[in-house]
Formats: sequence, C-alpha cells, structure tokens
Amino acid sequence: MSVIKREIKILSSRPAYLMGLVVIPVALALFFITILSPGLPLKVPAGIVDMDNTPMSREISRNLSATELVDFTRSYNSFNEAMAGVQRGEVMGFFIIPDHFERDAVSGRGPALSFYSNLTFYVPGSLVFKGFKTMSVTTSGKIVRTDLVGKGISADLAGVALKPLALDIHPLGNPWISYAYYLGPSFIIGCIGLMAVIMTIFSLTQEIKRGTSPQRYAAAGRRLGVAILGKLLPQTVILFVVALFCHSLMFHWNHYPMNGNEGNMILGLFLFVVASQSFGVIIVSVIPNPRLALSVGSLVSILTFSIAAFSFPVEAMYGAIGIFSYILPVRYFFLIYLDQALNGIPLYFSRFWYVGLLCFPVVAVLLSPLNRRWMRHPVYVP
Amino acid sequence: MKAVFSDIHEWLLEAARVMRRQFSLVFSDMGVMLFFFFLPVAYPVVYSLIYNTEVTRDMPVAVVDNCRTALSREFVRHADATEAIKICGYAADLNEARRWMNEHRCYGVLEIPADYSARLGRGEQAMARFYCDMGLLYRYRTFLSSLTELQMATCTELRQTGLNLLGVSSSAMGESVETQAFFLGDTQQGFASFIIPGIVVLILQQSMLLGIAMLDGASNERRRRNRGYDPVAVRDASPSASCIGKALCYVAIYLPLTLFILHYIPELFAYPHQGDAADYLLFIFPMLLATAFLGISLQGLMRERESAFIVVVFTSVVFLFLSGLTWPRYAMNDFYLMLGNLVPATWGIEGFIRINTNGGSLADQATPYHWLWGLTALFFVTAYLTTRRRSVTD
Repeated sequence: MSVIKREIKILSSRPAYLMGLVVIPVALALFFITILSPGLPLKVPAGIVDMDNTPMSREISRNLSATELVDFTRSYNSFNEAMAGVQRGEVMGFFIIPDHFERDAVSGRGPALSFYSNLTFYVPGSLVFKGFKTMSVTTSGKIVRTDLVGKGISADLAGVALKPLALDIHPLGNPWISYAYYLGPSFIIGCIGLMAVIMTIFSLTQEIKRGTSPQRYAAAGRRLGVAILGKLLPQTVILFVVALFCHSLMFHWNHYPMNGNEGNMILGLFLFVVASQSFGVIIVSVIPNPRLALSVGSLVSILTFSIAAFSFPVEAMYGAIGIFSYILPVRYFFLIYLDQALNGIPLYFSRFWYVGLLCFPVVAVLLSPLNRRWMRHPVYVP
Repeated sequence: MKAVFSDIHEWLLEAARVMRRQFSLVFSDMGVMLFFFFLPVAYPVVYSLIYNTEVTRDMPVAVVDNCRTALSREFVRHADATEAIKICGYAADLNEARRWMNEHRCYGVLEIPADYSARLGRGEQAMARFYCDMGLLYRYRTFLSSLTELQMATCTELRQTGLNLLGVSSSAMGESVETQAFFLGDTQQGFASFIIPGIVVLILQQSMLLGIAMLDGASNERRRRNRGYDPVAVRDASPSASCIGKALCYVAIYLPLTLFILHYIPELFAYPHQGDAADYLLFIFPMLLATAFLGISLQGLMRERESAFIVVVFTSVVFLFLSGLTWPRYAMNDFYLMLGNLVPATWGIEGFIRINTNGGSLADQATPYHWLWGLTALFFVTAYLTTRRRSVTD
C-alpha cells in the first residue's frame, strides 16, 4: 500500500505524467474523431477536358458533377494542361471527352472516353476513379441502349441486353464505407497503447536515473512483484479510465458501430492496457537503461501503426515481416475490435486474440526477476 | 564602415564556433546519433520491407451456389481467376459460409441465387451477391475492382450470345463507346509506391526533431546541475549566431541522409521516381532548415533527455494525418488545414510526391516551396526569441 501511495505522489509531482497519461491520449482521440468525422472524403476536386462542346458532352460533365464523388473544380483545354494541373496539385484526376464525341457516338464509330486518376494520393485517387468509371460506363450504356431501341428492340429488353448480370455488394458492418469507423478505433486505442508503453518505461527508468529504486524496493518489503505492481497499478487505473473515456467518445457520443457485446470490447480494452504496460516492463527487464529502453520502446511503438496491419493486410506481407505483427498488443486489440464491435460475432471466435493479450503479462512476470539487480543497485548511464 | 565589417566577421566566427561545438556534441552522444543516423537509414528500409509486396492477391472467398448449373460454375471459375479472389470452397448455405467467415477462413462470400441460369436463359437480368468483410478497406477496394471487371466481362459475353439468339448481329454492338482508364503516378496501384515517398519525408522531419529535442534536454540537465549555466555551450555567442550555427550543423548532417532517402530508397525498391534530382533536393532544403529552427524553438519544453520521447514521438501520427497523405487535405476543416500548414513535412510531402511520383518540376511546386521558406523565416524568429529569452535568464 505504501508503494502505491508513493507512486501517486510521484505521478502528481510532475506535469510529464499528467501529459503522457491523460492529456495526450485524450487530445489524440479528439483529433482523430474530428479529423475523420466526414467519414468519406467526397467531392474530390477534378478537372474536365471537354474538346467536343456539344449538348451530349456537356450532359456528361453535368452528370459527373452531380455525383457525390467528383467535383469539377477546373476545366482544361488539353491533356497537357490537365496533366500540368495534376502536377501542380490542383486536381486529383481528369476526364477527357474527345473531339467529335457526339457525332461519332451517334453514328456508331466507337469514340473513347478516357479518364486519368492520380493514385499518388490513394484515397481520393481511388474515389475519383470510381466516380469516373461509373459515369463512363453508364454513358456508354445509354448510347448503346438508344442505338438498340432504334434498331427495333423493346426498351426493357435492351436494358437487360446491356446488363444481363447485376452484382449486389454488401459491405458487412460498415455499409457507409466510412474511414472513421475503420481507422478511428485502431488509431485512437493504438495511441493509448503507444503512450502506455512509453510512460511505463519512462516511470520505471526514472527510478534508475534518480537512484530511488532501492527506496521503493525497501518500501515493498524487498518483494519485487509488489514493488513493480505497486508502481504500475495506479497507472493502469488512470490509463483504463482514459481508454474507457475514449471508448465512450467513439461508440456512444459518435455512434461508431457496436454490433456485438460491449462487455467483450471493454474486457479487451482492459487486457490491452495491461498488455501494453507489460510490453513496457518486458523492454525494461531486457534493457535496464533509461534512454535505450525508451528509444527501443518508441521506435517499436511507432512501427506498430504500420506493422499491425491497420491498412495493409498481414497475409500480403513477407512472412518474415508479418509475424512481427503478432508480437504487438495492438494487433490483438485490432482483431478484437473487428470481431466484437464491427462484425459482432460470438466471443468464441475471438478467443485466441484474448489469449494473445494475456500472454504479455505472463511473459512480463517471467522476465521480472531480471529487474532485481537495478532495483537494488541502480546505475545510470546517460 | 570598418566597424560594421568587423561586427559581421565577429558574428560569423561566433556562428562557426557554435556549429563546431554542436557537431562535437552530436557525435559524442549515442542517443542523438541513434536518431540522426540510425533512424533515417533504417526506417525507410523497414517500412519498405513491410509494404514491399505492394498489392494483395488471391484472398479466400467462400461460394454459396444455390443454382449449381454449368453457367453458375463457369461464373465461379471466372471469379477464381480474378486478381483478388481465390475460391476457398463451396459452402452448403449462407450459415455455413458465415461460420467460415467468423472463423477467419475467408474474407468474402459469393452467393448465386437458385434462379441464376433460369433468368439468364429467359433473357432477364440475373443477380449475384457478394458479402464482404470490412475489416480492411484495402481488401474491400481490391475485391470491388476485381468484381466490377468480372461483371463487365461476363456481361459482354452474355450479351454477345443473347443478341445472337435475338438475331441482331453482335458487331453492331461492339462499336459502342469505349472507356479507357489510366492511373497517374502510382501506375500499378501499389501500396508501397503510394505511401513510402510520403513517409520518408516525414521520417526526415521527425528524426531530426527527436535528435534536437534530446540535445536540448541534455543541455537543460547540465544547466540544472550547474545552477542555470551550461558548461559546454558557447558562452558569448549572440542568439542569432547561436540559432544559425546550430541549424547549419543539423542541416549539414542531414544533407547526405536526404540524398539517401529521397534518391536511393526509391531506386533501391523500384518505387516511382520521375522527377529531376536537382528539383527535389532544392525543394527539400528549406524543409530541413524549417525543421531545424522548429526543433530549436521547442528547446524550453524539454526538462530532460527523456522528455523528447513524450513530447515528440506521438506527433508523428498526428503529422502523418495532417499532411494529407492518408486523409486528403481538401476534406479537412479550416483549423486542421491551418495546423497542417504550420508543419514543414506537410509541404515537404506534398511537393516531394508531386515531383518524385508525378514528375512535376520545382516550378510546379511554387505554393509548397513558398510555404516552406515562409515557415523557415517564421521558425527562425521563434527560435531566435526562445534562445534570447534563455540567454537572458542565464
């Protein structure tokens, strides 16, 4: 108990702890929620090159502008001009209607509509591609349909003849295709994990740096487990409360999809906080040096955002790289979020992810005897 | 007149002394060396290795075929042949397929209704359903583009046979309006080719900020130990000479690393690399300067060496989003736009990507380039002010 009291005194003595444990995680959560609030970045700025200037070509550009995906902010006179516009960053793509388009289309000479999407920015590039593609296919279909009706085929039959097979695509759990629901929870909770790792290492190694660890060891009655647990328990409570706050910020105030049992998510959240702290303890056990341990901790934690595969799938990575995804707590939390909140499937199917999170404290306990030396005789190497 | 020249001479000497002292501080500190050298060299390689496979192919999909005819089997065969889909098995019904999905054995379910071939035979529109796991939007996107292509190819084929049956020559249909799609920059739609050119610029900024923050933290620790006086600092340097000397030291260290990151990384991993080296190297120079001054301006915040981690590390994620690389800037509100404008890497990423990947010239990047020089001026002023305040409190 006296160990915990001592820790609370330390935590309230320096603003760094308040910053790292509360202010930064909450600020990051607010940042991600507000920046991603549009869900999808619709109305991508795009350019049109209309070389035909007929009623038909103007109708195409009007229809394109009316879709939610594309917004024609510029109009160019030639391919070269439009390309320069892309290089200057004015537009994310452009649509070309060639010379004599109406004449050739009506007379069946097979003109071509072409469109260019700038994929150097992936999300808007893909969206502008989707908008252009839909419109060019519909336009082409409309012309053929008119043509077929002119040849004496009934309008219904012509429609079927054009599109004999329809595809009905169901995006499960996220029918809005919202980026917020997809990136938000993984990044927000990932940031809490990042700060948990950094703050655990920071607070443990501060005792080495200031040479206060023998005092702590004595206060814990020379019991190592009590010394470390007492040190980290107050932080666990703070971090878990912060995590719960961020959780309610997402799933209650902002109505992120919660299709499963919320208790399972909260259990996952708690295990994740403990696992992240354990990850910090593991690093300190192996490298009991303030600066080196913090360097390793932050370098690894920053990589988690890529290697935990929030955007690029693990199974597509090189095998030797992909396995590193599973030594990080946030990977398991991400999978729990997908199963329990987004897809809402029974707990049974996520059992391994929970076990994965439980492995971290176990490993930390197994490695903790390594900490005895610096607890007794702290040596600070700057 | 002579006095002016000797003042300038004096100032230059001061700046040079600060620069030399800063060099020796950097090279005698393992922690700073780690950030200044190891990070910019290793991270681009690590990120490249993570994303180097570029695309995801052959994702497992379950089939629920309620029709079981030659036509439906042909459709499934064609689906299996697309880039995205690999049929992992036939499920008896949707419930079984759903169980497979829950067990993470597949990421999608293709359902063909019982009347699939009957409707096609009657000349009506048939329908197939696809249920997609939305865990990763990247998977969804890949599925979607493959399915669209599959649908269009199947439609063309069915149309030809259908029209032939109706007695209309299919060549009359072949001459419809063509559509041609082209991708610019990242022509193969690869993930690494899109994200690495942006990330490496951010790595330049963040590693430099971390290193500078650590140097400042160390200097503040020395100050506290020596009653507000840093024994290794150049004592009589004026604030402006001190800022410029330090910044020159950092930029000089970063010049070879910049060449490695911006030129050799895209070459080594065969990323898009269109622009002229002179263009992007000239372009990135003010970003290095602005970042150095920004780092110096933050010196009051670091109470000790380890504070650098708490203050700087998490900003990488924020700056990544503010830069517009993952979330486009046009969709941000004015506050985030303004905040992003103040980060050198935002402009660095935008300009570098357009030069490197889209093949723009330096002249095309006038806006980011002017912003970078503007930020250099702004952060020089803030760096000057914080340095002066500290030399007054000494």
